[in-house]
Amino acid sequence: MSNPASQPGPDQEWEALLQQLRKQPRAQPRPFFYTRVQARLAAQLQPRGSWLPDWARRPAYVALLGMLIVAVSGDGAALHPTAATHYAPYQSDQTASLLPH
Amino acid sequence: MAYSLCLPFSVESVPAANLGAVAADAELVAQLQQGSEAAFRTLVERYQQRVYSTAFSLLRSAEEAEDVAQEVFVEVYQTVAKFRSETALSTWLYRLATSRALQHRRRASAKKRFAYFTSLLGFQNQVLHEPPDHAHPLALLEGEQQLHLLLSHISRLPSQQQIAFTLRHEQELSYEEIAAVLDTTVSAVESLLFRARQTLRQHLPPSYRHV
Repeated sequence: MSNPASQPGPDQEWEALLQQLRKQPRAQPRPFFYTRVQARLAAQLQPRGSWLPDWARRPAYVALLGMLIVAVSGDGAALHPTAATHYAPYQSDQTASLLPH
Repeated sequence: MAYSLCLPFSVESVPAANLGAVAADAELVAQLQQGSEAAFRTLVERYQQRVYSTAFSLLRSAEEAEDVAQEVFVEVYQTVAKFRSETALSTWLYRLATSRALQHRRRASAKKRFAYFTSLLGFQNQVLHEPPDHAHPLALLEGEQQLHLLLSHISRLPSQQQIAFTLRHEQELSYEEIAAVLDTTVSAVESLLFRARQTLRQHLPPSYRHV
């Protein structure tokens, strides 16, 4: 039977756990860390190629912006010329029916 | 913004054994401010391990710790002209590493929340994976479960308590040095550490709790 007096108390167990934490090997960066820092610095120091903001260089954003401009400008009908020709006969018939016989 | 501190930690309070290191750092900073590439290389090689392991302790991710460590040294290179030598160089680096690591963590949790939200709305048919568990290899060995448990509870502490605890028990910084990094007083550090230990002991198995 174990002697309870010889068992470590909560404080000793806690201290032992902290010791274990302290003694674990420190995490190390992968080799050639300096080379990667240099590459990152060089990438940041490169002059920007264009005056355009980053988002404007993505085709999806440019297409979306184009569609938005067309929608807001009210020229949507210009994109559907076939729809416009469908209205033409109706309008001419209507005009004809209004004329005195 | 100049990085100067009016704190209890000063060059005068550094133990005699560290005075040589402080003088060497001051010399290094002077060379860096003159644009010396060799000085920058020396600085990176001297501090990369400390900066990386601090970031790793706070993030528990090798990739993110690498990213933070790189960001820290890039920032040092770009802002060293504004650095004033009455602050210890190591204090400045620890401060950059801890604040960058917290920024990363905030961004990562925001991304995770957004990914969860979009998955609920069905915007993407991807299965949400939990980030890989980069627990310390030692913690995965038999008999290291308590350490693993401790590490997981450290990561759930409030930021300031987590930084104070990590700097004290993993980086083995003095209370004065931690106070300088956190820009606070020694008694505030003592209080942070007291609360951190109390929380951790409550969450560990009963054998660690006060009787």
